[in-house]
Amino acid sequence: MPVHSVVACSLLGCGIILSVAVSAIAEELTYERHIRPILKVHCLDCHGATEELKGNLDLRLRRSMVRGGASGTAIVPNDPEASYLLKRVAAGEMPPGDIKMSLAEIETIKQWIASGAKTARPEPESLTVGLGITPEEREFWSFQPLERPAVPSAAHDDRVRTPIDAFLFAAMKPHGLSFSPDADKASLARRAYLDLLGLPPTPAQIERFVADSTPDAWERLIDELLNSAHYGERWARHWLDIAGYADSEGDTESDRPRQFAYKYRDYVIRSFNSDKPIDQFIQEQLAGDELVPPPHTNLTPKAKEKLVATGFLRMAADQTISDNNDSAKNQVVADTIQIVSSSLLGLSVGCAQCHDHRYDPIPHADYYRIRALFEPAFNWKNWRNPDSRRISLYTDEDRAKASAIERQVVDIDNERIQKREKYIAEALDAEIDTLPEAVREPLRKALKTPGDQRSDEQKRLVETYPSTKINGGNLYQYNRKASGELNEIGETIAELRKKKPFQDFLRVLTEVPGQVPDTYRFHRGDHQQPKEKVTPGVLTIATADAQPYEFSANDPSLPTTGRRLAWARWLTSGKHPLVGRVLVNRVWKHHFGQGIVSTPSDFGKLGTQPSHPKLLDWLACELVSRGWSLKNLHKLIMTSTAYRQTTARNPIKDAVDPDNRLYWRKSLIRLDAEAVRDRILFTTGEISLKMFGPPVSVTDHETGQVIVNSPRRSVYVEVRRTKPVAMLKAFDLPVMHTNCDQRVSSTVAPQALLLMNSDFILERSIAFAKRLRREMATDGEKLVNFDSHARMSHLRRQLTRAWQLAYLREATENELETTLAFVRGQIPEIEAREKVRFEQASKAAAAKKKDKEKKDQKVEPPTPLDIELKAVANVCQALLSSNEFLYVD
Amino acid sequence: MNDCSATFSRRRFLSENAMGVGGVALAWLLQQEGLLAKQENLTKARPKLDLLPKQPHHKPQAKAMISLFMHGGPSHMDLMDPKPELSRFHGKTYQEDVGYSFFNDASKTLFGSRYSFRHHGQCGTEISELLPHLAEIVDDVCVMRSMHTGHNGHEVSIRYMHAGLAGVVGRPTVGSWLTYGLGSESQDLPAYMVLTDPAGHPVDGTHNWNNGFMPSLFQGTVLRPKEPRIFNLDAPEHLRGKLQEQNLSLLAQLNRRHLEEHPGESDLEARIASYELAARMQVAAKEALDLSRESEATKKLYGLDDKVTREYGARCLIARRLVERGVRFVQLFLGSQPWDNHRNIRTALPRICQRTDKPSAALVKDLKARGLLDTTLVHWGGEIGRLPVIQGKDFKKCGRDHNGQGFSMWLAGGGVRGGMTYGETDEFGHRAVVDRVTPNDYQATLLHLFGLDHKRLVYEHNGRKETLTSNRPCRVVRKILKQG
Repeated sequence: MPVHSVVACSLLGCGIILSVAVSAIAEELTYERHIRPILKVHCLDCHGATEELKGNLDLRLRRSMVRGGASGTAIVPNDPEASYLLKRVAAGEMPPGDIKMSLAEIETIKQWIASGAKTARPEPESLTVGLGITPEEREFWSFQPLERPAVPSAAHDDRVRTPIDAFLFAAMKPHGLSFSPDADKASLARRAYLDLLGLPPTPAQIERFVADSTPDAWERLIDELLNSAHYGERWARHWLDIAGYADSEGDTESDRPRQFAYKYRDYVIRSFNSDKPIDQFIQEQLAGDELVPPPHTNLTPKAKEKLVATGFLRMAADQTISDNNDSAKNQVVADTIQIVSSSLLGLSVGCAQCHDHRYDPIPHADYYRIRALFEPAFNWKNWRNPDSRRISLYTDEDRAKASAIERQVVDIDNERIQKREKYIAEALDAEIDTLPEAVREPLRKALKTPGDQRSDEQKRLVETYPSTKINGGNLYQYNRKASGELNEIGETIAELRKKKPFQDFLRVLTEVPGQVPDTYRFHRGDHQQPKEKVTPGVLTIATADAQPYEFSANDPSLPTTGRRLAWARWLTSGKHPLVGRVLVNRVWKHHFGQGIVSTPSDFGKLGTQPSHPKLLDWLACELVSRGWSLKNLHKLIMTSTAYRQTTARNPIKDAVDPDNRLYWRKSLIRLDAEAVRDRILFTTGEISLKMFGPPVSVTDHETGQVIVNSPRRSVYVEVRRTKPVAMLKAFDLPVMHTNCDQRVSSTVAPQALLLMNSDFILERSIAFAKRLRREMATDGEKLVNFDSHARMSHLRRQLTRAWQLAYLREATENELETTLAFVRGQIPEIEAREKVRFEQASKAAAAKKKDKEKKDQKVEPPTPLDIELKAVANVCQALLSSNEFLYVD
Repeated sequence: MNDCSATFSRRRFLSENAMGVGGVALAWLLQQEGLLAKQENLTKARPKLDLLPKQPHHKPQAKAMISLFMHGGPSHMDLMDPKPELSRFHGKTYQEDVGYSFFNDASKTLFGSRYSFRHHGQCGTEISELLPHLAEIVDDVCVMRSMHTGHNGHEVSIRYMHAGLAGVVGRPTVGSWLTYGLGSESQDLPAYMVLTDPAGHPVDGTHNWNNGFMPSLFQGTVLRPKEPRIFNLDAPEHLRGKLQEQNLSLLAQLNRRHLEEHPGESDLEARIASYELAARMQVAAKEALDLSRESEATKKLYGLDDKVTREYGARCLIARRLVERGVRFVQLFLGSQPWDNHRNIRTALPRICQRTDKPSAALVKDLKARGLLDTTLVHWGGEIGRLPVIQGKDFKKCGRDHNGQGFSMWLAGGGVRGGMTYGETDEFGHRAVVDRVTPNDYQATLLHLFGLDHKRLVYEHNGRKETLTSNRPCRVVRKILKQG
């Protein structure tokens, strides 16, 4: 670890080992605070967590450690040498397995024993089964009830504009840091557009904002952008990451497309655009089906919306069409819990699937209480695969038309089956005729006998002549013509079926009324080892001690069980300690490039501590008190001084806080994959801003790369799990195995190569150059015969425009001169190459003419304009590939 | 936590991409060196997945591996697993149960090899007349005769061999694990390279070099048999050479100006440096692919003078050049399953042997002559073998169906004992019966040769500790190690 990072680390106090070591020196060692957490990680699984104790040793209490187990006493207070536990641990014999205690942990235990093996308080008389949750664990920061912290007073700094600034300033002041100046207005406009819309502003939009000198110009710009329909496209994408959005099922082989998943994507976009209160947004996604009374026919738009929202719970990869086994079904449930808990709870709840969570106070049983919320809908004993979890939007009339066609299909299909049987019989006869005379009759007889009624002799006979096992599946191996004919009939059927009215579906999660399966705790997470029954519930640690959150396992007022609805209401009650903190942290992260908690899906012990705990709590309280309005939260954040600062570094401040964890400047942010692509398409003028609807398909290019041939925004590009678009993947588009809680922002050579040589960038550069020519040409005719002066002036206008469009600023005189010289310098070389190309093309065309294969292709000699276009395109490529384009400052 | 945002300093960037500092670079980049050398103190210290060389768990024997993957299922009883009993009962009816893939041609008639086997080398390993060149190197080769996937299908077994679980896609392959565990030795080439066949992708396509749940940093880079050899590596023809140099120079100017306004931004510096790396990759890859500097004797050794062996020989030679230049793992694939001899095995099998035998043996000879064999593990083998019974009706046009119950492959170099055979199939070559080796055993063994413990080479994914062998019971096959 480099030296400067240690400064940052101790400054902000991260890393558990560090904090344990420090506190161990500072205070007396006790069982509860120092020893139990170590034992929980390494030992309690076998010696405490379950009714059955290995070696009859219970390490949950000091006195039971002293009492010991089958091998005698485990510890002798004040005498580490005589303590058997320490001996086994130090010898590396315990715990068994590959992960051993660290030296620091062993030393801590040793010191604790040496100092008398103290406890923090008198130990309880008796313990119930399991590990439970200790008071020390309850003390952890993220489980504390939300209370609105007082805003620090900051009278001495006029840079403090909002309470956010007051919190941040209070934290940076002791380190001698202060806010950087505001960025200039053009930078602010670029920042706001790219941040809120994922698209750049037009030069005119920047100009207008820069010229607006009214005091509330910034606030009005934010409002305007929040009201843009493109806001939803940008911020939906952030949510879709954590929801694990994909347009395919993730089956191993085919990765079957999810034809109707896009409706959930559109739901999310519309929800963000309408500033749907987040509590409602969460309730609809977790329990929209419970808000719409069945039957789910002739649905109103409102009802459809709520049902589509449950698509959130249908995002997990689902292989149960191709692989309909219990493991696959249970995997869907586990992945769904993973998505829900990482997105809303910010805890690795999945770690409690097999045993008590090793680090966080999440008992094994809690996992199954949460699972019980979902089991009435994800009933693995009575599973419904993705196809049978859809709601048809057929009208009665559609249905009648469809069933008429289906009746025709049945007739044709019967004919097909008859033919197939006939062909199989023929093939079998032919096959048998090739066999020795003597076996033919007995074999025929054996084959006619059902498999389970065959005599041993018959079985042996059939096994000896395996080529007589002919069925519909291998008929093609015997009679290609026949199977071709059968396939043709199959195609006729498919054609006929296409004539049915298009059947639109909603992908939803619903319960089957009346079906309420029991949920069991699975020993070691194995569905084949169910143990005791559990009732639905919530994370124990998230409830305050005095008021456990209770709800009915089967709400009589609803046709469904009401479990998910009750849970959703608890999560959004404003009292849940995690949900609000987790949500505001994510929003903050997208605005600033890093979260207040830098591990957005782990607010537990292995996550990082918040850099500004009070600010986090204040924001979470604000979110609730402002009616769960996300747009309100954006504005709150963006009007702060912290957001408006320049990105400029400062050597003195860098020395104190190089990672800018204290927000003394705005960090530079690289555009994410979608924003890179969208900004390029926007700049070249090619972008289509059409919204919503089925995704645009991805295709395999002949080079083997996955490409997308569409100018639509990236949020509308098909998310095929096995086929990430090469251009987007290079810029860290997540590949959706489950979900993505935080993207990486990498800098690797393939990005450079892509921006140097890929078809994508070359085509965009030409398009950009054409746009420049189009927009800057006042008179097309003149251009052809322009003199050198007109030519220069036209070129200069194009380059000026290029800077305005790509960099959203004016080019400096120096930049213009340099680039003009660049273009002039390249023209002779391009001209020479184009000439060669033309000659080759002419020859090729002439050769083809002789062959009379094709009518004459006209090969035009390159014009000076073509040549200039290519040189300008090279300038365009440099602009689109440059750091100024790829980073938001 | 699966991901983390990270920015890199220039130095960190260079080391993570295993390209080092200094060395050859294009002129446009050299101009910037003065500017870029400063500001090293802004690195974030977060642990990061990278390609920096890493310490293995124990002293390694092998540093690099070349795998000649033989898609389709080479017929072991015709190549390197002699079965005199099978020949003795040729034409008789087989009494054991057989799993078939093709029922129309299914038969229980035993099919003895029509090729003669002879003892070779000091060790006396028996090799069929179809592989005269393998016969010359047997003293350096360990023939494994008891391979077993338990599955007859191609894809199922291919995935098992590459990624540790039968039939499961989306898992990282051997090359990904080696690169993840050991990093890269190469200064300017990808650590994991795949050489595909002009006849097209192998069965199961890109899954053969998947990085699965690991970042794409650990994915195999495909060296295609035709242009573009590496995706996006070379400039399109109309920009090649001078024009692209000019373009990059313009880009460098733009970036330099931008950096002046953001002094000390390590991420911007890293991105500028990434172009240096890209440029070096262009040069290095071209150099590695250029066989013109090889001596005539070497070319001849690999069969570049014969049209039958030229293509595969050239790829074997490129593989050696890549390993020489520090590439960790190179895998050669064949298109359209030439070893999948369901029919006409009499003509098809000799044909594919002629195409690959000489180059494969040449690779081992050449590595040995250059002192590279001790540290380079060479693997030759497919995902399955073939059945001892006939597929089809008559012996003239027949073939053999799939067999994942027992088959052979060979290893050489990299700490493997030469001049031995390991394991046995039954007397008909149907099932592996003595010292059975599963793909997981093979994977544990090859990781061991690289100094890695298959249980400890762990990648955390979705809260699970994943290993190449998928935490399944398996063993290091110690008997085949030079230092058991």
